[in-house]
Amino acid sequence: MGAYVLKRLGQSLITVAIVVLTVFLLLRLMPKNGYFTREDYVNMDKDARTAYLRNLGVLDDPFTQFGRFLSGLARGDLGRSITVYPRSPVLDVIGEKAPYSLWFGLAALVLSMVLGLGLGILMARYKDRFADGAGTVYVTIVRAIPSLIWLFFIQQWVTALLGWPMVFYEDRPVSWILPTVSLALSGIAWYAIWLRRFMVDEENRDYVKFAVSKGLPWKRVMRGHVLRNALVPLVQYFPQQILLTIAGSLLIESIYSIPGMGGLLVSAIRQQDNPLVQALVLLYSVLGVVGVFLGDLLMVLVDPRIKLAESSGKGAAA
Amino acid sequence: MKPRAMIIAVLMALTAVASAWAAGVDRYDAVYASEGSSLRYFYTPTTTDQRVAANTQDGLVEQDRFGRFVPSLAQSWTVSPDGLTWTFKLRPGLMYVDSSGQKTRWEITADDFVEGLRYVSDPKNGIKNFSRDVRNLISGLNAYYLDLSDVDSGKKKDLTRDQALANFANVGISAPDKYTVVYRLSKPTPFFLSYLVMELFLPVEKEFLDTVGLDFGVSKEKLVFSGAYYISDWQRSKRIVLKANPHYWDAGKISVKTITLQYVPDPTTQVAMFQRGELSRADLGADQVKALAKSKWGQYIYSDPPSADRFSVTYWFVQNFTSANPEFKAFVNNLNFRKALYYGIDRVKLNELDDPYKPGQIIRNTVVPEFQIFDEKGVDYTDYPGVKEIKAAGNYYNKAKARDYFKKALAELTDGKGTIKGVSPTTVDYKPIAEVKVDGKLPLQMVYVSLPDAVETKRALLLKAMLEEAFGKENIEVTLGQCIDDVFGEVVEPRRFDLLHDNFRFGYADPAAQLSRLVTGGGVNDGQYSDPEFDKLVQEAMSKTVLSERYAIFAKAEALYLDRCYVLPWAMGGTAYQITKVVPFTYPRGGFGITRFKFKGMVVEKDPITAKRYEQLKAAFYKEMAAAK
Repeated sequence: MGAYVLKRLGQSLITVAIVVLTVFLLLRLMPKNGYFTREDYVNMDKDARTAYLRNLGVLDDPFTQFGRFLSGLARGDLGRSITVYPRSPVLDVIGEKAPYSLWFGLAALVLSMVLGLGLGILMARYKDRFADGAGTVYVTIVRAIPSLIWLFFIQQWVTALLGWPMVFYEDRPVSWILPTVSLALSGIAWYAIWLRRFMVDEENRDYVKFAVSKGLPWKRVMRGHVLRNALVPLVQYFPQQILLTIAGSLLIESIYSIPGMGGLLVSAIRQQDNPLVQALVLLYSVLGVVGVFLGDLLMVLVDPRIKLAESSGKGAAA
Repeated sequence: MKPRAMIIAVLMALTAVASAWAAGVDRYDAVYASEGSSLRYFYTPTTTDQRVAANTQDGLVEQDRFGRFVPSLAQSWTVSPDGLTWTFKLRPGLMYVDSSGQKTRWEITADDFVEGLRYVSDPKNGIKNFSRDVRNLISGLNAYYLDLSDVDSGKKKDLTRDQALANFANVGISAPDKYTVVYRLSKPTPFFLSYLVMELFLPVEKEFLDTVGLDFGVSKEKLVFSGAYYISDWQRSKRIVLKANPHYWDAGKISVKTITLQYVPDPTTQVAMFQRGELSRADLGADQVKALAKSKWGQYIYSDPPSADRFSVTYWFVQNFTSANPEFKAFVNNLNFRKALYYGIDRVKLNELDDPYKPGQIIRNTVVPEFQIFDEKGVDYTDYPGVKEIKAAGNYYNKAKARDYFKKALAELTDGKGTIKGVSPTTVDYKPIAEVKVDGKLPLQMVYVSLPDAVETKRALLLKAMLEEAFGKENIEVTLGQCIDDVFGEVVEPRRFDLLHDNFRFGYADPAAQLSRLVTGGGVNDGQYSDPEFDKLVQEAMSKTVLSERYAIFAKAEALYLDRCYVLPWAMGGTAYQITKVVPFTYPRGGFGITRFKFKGMVVEKDPITAKRYEQLKAAFYKEMAAAK
């Protein structure tokens, strides 16, 4: 296990380094005229444009720029934003925005898990009956109708009906509810439909039929075997989902005016804010890799049959 | 205006303002859709940045509600007889305040204006708006900037950066005493005041700047404020709260004590928030106007283009005189063809996409906007002979005339059997925007390029239908191309267009702001045409320092330019309808710099202003303005 963890950490580091380097180099291929608007071309002559680019640091050769990035990284300094929030330290920008995405994301994730897994269990338990049908209708609606439509419906009509604010206010807790619910809706559907599917699969397996025929109570079979085994394929995603809540939601944060991380990477890329893009890519890739790694470990904890590494040359992973 | 009428107009206006004050509320809530980038007020790439800068920092002068330049931090000024030296006397004893509204230890002094200019002219500070116009305006400034730039790039090795910085002493700005700022200009510039409302001429306190260093303006705590408001709260992508500065020099004019601006990018949400009483103002798009017109909100909807942020923007069609499309190149260099286009475009129809109710009110035939530039007698530049007639002509659309000109163009450019003289078949490569095969025969192939949003797409389709219908599909075929979002980078610079929809805003109060950039090789001459006669007239006008003489020649130049159809102006900016509780005409207006974003003097009422009341206030305001001039 220790060797496996070390090996995975090494692989993770290499993966992150490749991602960061690739993004770094791709950013350097972006055209320099992207730093200027129409008005800038009128206001600035070539010398002024060159001076501007030089002071942004984007005219240095890529190796110098990468060296600067790494040395800053070693000191815990990710640099300053150059175009989206000029001169603001990147860590300050992320530090201001990440908590909003994180808290909304975590609240929505908990809601999705509680309601989604509960709904999935109900749908599997009462397969082909009302609960299953109602759950399927919900899942179909959420997945088939473009999210923009029901998100706007919730914002426009539900707030009018309940007299709640249309946008998020930090000092009015009632305004936190709808963004959280909106964020959770598709997660609930996702957990419900997949848990139902895995539970129904498990219910049809021989060991379940055997256990039932041996006289084990149905509830015990469901809790101790079916649910536990059905959760195995899902739990590996939990860590990643938790960690990547920090990335926020472009759509919902925009609709409810939540000052989170959603859209920050898009803005940074569009405005060629290299330090901000690099920091975000680094953050997201580290969290992604760590999430996958923790997911693997979690799977082993939930299902002891799964082995992550070969043990003494004998059996492989189950 | 007769004295009696003038007195009545003034009384009416005063009554209107007084009654508004009486019913007023002390807060204003609005939204913003373009995210602010920073609080460093010398660098304001978005309108949100400009709005915050305008309300939290004052310059030497500002514009009042009639657009006149009036004293601000300077209480008076004088100009030397040669027009080169401008001396401003500051109000003594004014202090900067911090983000809690408390007085700081720093007084606003003349040195702060010197420091401000020193800051913006250092290339290391990356102030993009520090234009060559400004550099060439003040004596020695351009040389100072270029030296620093050359030192930074390594081109100049005989000078250290510190030495180059020390040369700022040679720049034409000085503070001979604590309350006197003197500018020495490179050439007489009677419209110099219109530069001073730009953010580039704001003050900064040196000791404070040295203390915060690179962090200047990265948060509200890294700023001190000289304006009518201070920033009491600032959250990226969320909200900005401005509170009235209790130590402001003109505090008596500030009736709105708290301004809350929320980041709400969605226009639908904005309107619903207004309807629920959460906002003091909402802007409406054409579709929203249609949706609300028959509801109870219909009575409150109106538009006032001259007070809109974008009023000084002129929209025009640019023609590519050096087109890679040999068919279009042959045609566009023919005056009759350009006149055919000029008369063949129905401006009212095009405007209906932006303003379905009063499309005629936003037509602009001139390059230079109206209500912006006035001579020493208060005469609007666009009322000078030559330009006045063009302005007054309204919609130029005349299908018969257009067809006549087109026939003349065909007679001159084709052999009478449909072959375009001197054009060989080829493929016009405007990839990735368009690719067109031309065969040197009619129909003339031309590529019109626009942005991909819904209104621009509709406009492109309408224009294509308009031209093909006017001249016949057998004579002209318009191919539509779209860029992603950067008209200059994707279209203009790589020359991937024949006809293009674009716009341009004014920089300062002189026709040169636009016309000098439209000459051969000028910064806005995107069509790349050349007309020595026009160039000469512009040069001649720029050499005049008496405004009326200057404008008379500029008007002649502009009339010639428009008669020869080098660009095809068709609309003004500022088409937005609104529902608002803000009493119109109570706040500053003007097309230049940032004072048009000031809330100073703004009066907000409890209930929305009806369109009927707006019309009454408008009538009174224009009477008052005429009297004031």
